[in-house]
Amino acid sequence: MPLLEIDNLRVSFTTADSDVNAVNGVSFGIDKGETLAIVGESGSGKSQTAFAIMGLLARNGHATGAARFDGQDLLSISKRDLNKIRSREIAMIFQDPMTSLNPYLRISDQMAEVLMLHKGMSKRDAINESAHMLDAVRIPDARARISMFPHEFSGGMRQRIMIAMALLCQPRLLIADEPTTALDVTVQAQIMQVLSDIRSNFGTAVILITHDLGVVAGFCDRTLVMYGGQIMEEGPTDNLFANPSHPYTSGLLRAVPRLDRDDAKLATIAGEPPDMSRLPAGCPFSPRCAQVLDNCRAERPLLETDGTRRRACHLPVHEVA
Amino acid sequence: MFSFVARRLAVAIPTLLILIVVSFVLMYAAPGGPFNSERPLPPAVLANIEAKYGLDQPFWKQIVNYVASVVTQFDFGPSFQYKDRSVNDVIAQGFPVTLTYGFWSFVVAVTIGVSLGVAAAIKHNTWLDYLAVGISIGAQVLPNFVMAPILLLIFTLWLGWLPGGGWNGGQWPYLIMPVIALSTSYMASIARITRSSMLEVLNANFIRTARAKGLPMRRVIWKHAMKPAMLPVLSYLGPAFVGMITGSVIIDVFFSTGGIGQFFVNSAFNRDYSVIMGITILVGALTIFFNLVVDILYAWIDPKIRY
Repeated sequence: MPLLEIDNLRVSFTTADSDVNAVNGVSFGIDKGETLAIVGESGSGKSQTAFAIMGLLARNGHATGAARFDGQDLLSISKRDLNKIRSREIAMIFQDPMTSLNPYLRISDQMAEVLMLHKGMSKRDAINESAHMLDAVRIPDARARISMFPHEFSGGMRQRIMIAMALLCQPRLLIADEPTTALDVTVQAQIMQVLSDIRSNFGTAVILITHDLGVVAGFCDRTLVMYGGQIMEEGPTDNLFANPSHPYTSGLLRAVPRLDRDDAKLATIAGEPPDMSRLPAGCPFSPRCAQVLDNCRAERPLLETDGTRRRACHLPVHEVA
Repeated sequence: MFSFVARRLAVAIPTLLILIVVSFVLMYAAPGGPFNSERPLPPAVLANIEAKYGLDQPFWKQIVNYVASVVTQFDFGPSFQYKDRSVNDVIAQGFPVTLTYGFWSFVVAVTIGVSLGVAAAIKHNTWLDYLAVGISIGAQVLPNFVMAPILLLIFTLWLGWLPGGGWNGGQWPYLIMPVIALSTSYMASIARITRSSMLEVLNANFIRTARAKGLPMRRVIWKHAMKPAMLPVLSYLGPAFVGMITGSVIIDVFFSTGGIGQFFVNSAFNRDYSVIMGITILVGALTIFFNLVVDILYAWIDPKIRY
């Protein structure tokens, strides 16, 4: 049984004009200790999927379907029960480390409260334990710096603090929502190294949400490609990158800038991401797909599996360019 | 922090001095005087009286004498109107009254205003939010000079529950209406500021982080959202408190409470130079003091502010 199993998740937002459907029937699972990447461009619904799992959707957001963790459906359990799972079993780190820590509280207070809440530790023990965790994510001089405020740290350090904070209770699953997007390239590498270390040290399962395919290739066991709030394809990362079976995936891979080739121009996928309040009737990618077939526009392809990989495309696998 | 307070106090002294000099000059320049009346006094008598209060001396000598006595002896001089009382007596009599109902108005306005604002923000776009916004808009359009006669009409004339005026040492039946009248519009402003700033803070990323930690909503609000949400409220509170002290003019007129507001108005009508000066300086000093308090609280709440 998977650690977390998402079944037909749908997320919609009520706005003054219309309902925006950010996630449209997504199903996947993640096993204990596994690393899953969710990739896709902005607005593909990958972050909202994560927020729905954690119960962190915006006020006007609404999720249906199921997210089963330990036999409990996270979408329907009480707030009390959800609060017992948050951070203790499933922790999350966010895209923007500059604004994700409370600027008015010391790091020690922000970290210690997690342990005091979930483990019933005394404040002194909680701060000690937090300092150990800061050491683990390689914050220099952690014991002294733990009593500082967030603005006294750089962006990369703040993201490491967020990671340390998320790992305090040694959760079984860590959801990392674009953890490196707001950071410099060199700092990105450090953060990925930290994530890689904690995965091997603690055996934590990780869902990595990103649009950086380079990060995915080196880090994730399995990759799930999303577009228009739906899964386009899914499979073991190496296999999927070597033989993309969906035109969107191959488009994404071609759009990765490469230093080892002397291309005059960066390849792009023509067109704009879809308007989530007016999705096409068929495949959401059909208006932009270079290999679109007649029935793509009318009929939404089903997500079909061959045992190791899943894909949702009308085009036969061997014809994908 | 200590050096910040010391520096601020060092700036406050020249500010107060400038306030004294400017008020004095304005007063001197205004036509008329305390001893003008419809029936003019004989010139010899007027000259005698003016000599007694030092009004016959040249301007520069008057101002130097005044500033010297204020600064060195804390003596604001004799009242020109009440022959047997000094300005210090007037302030000693009226200020405790004003301070008492001003303090309670402040407490009421802050407590109810902040609670209403926070409740409205947490229950955004529900009936509770609409009710709170409705109350605060209603209260906003009822300034103290409208509230006071309405309260008198209802609670004294119609219901007969509360005395229509007086102070009586500040017993609570005499306090209720002045406090309600004075606090209502401030309560409304505080509620609106609290609501909008709390709404903004609740959308901040660090609040999402706090929720992801599994903290119950009450803890998220109190520990993570309250401090930043209070910053805009805090900067309003300094001027608001001074406003309540000076707003006492209306309260004293309607409820005969006998605070400094009463004396302030009378002294302005009577050209009671020394009383006007005394109360002006008092209010100026309070303004400077409360702004300093607000700045210190700001630094205490926001770690990014370092002086």
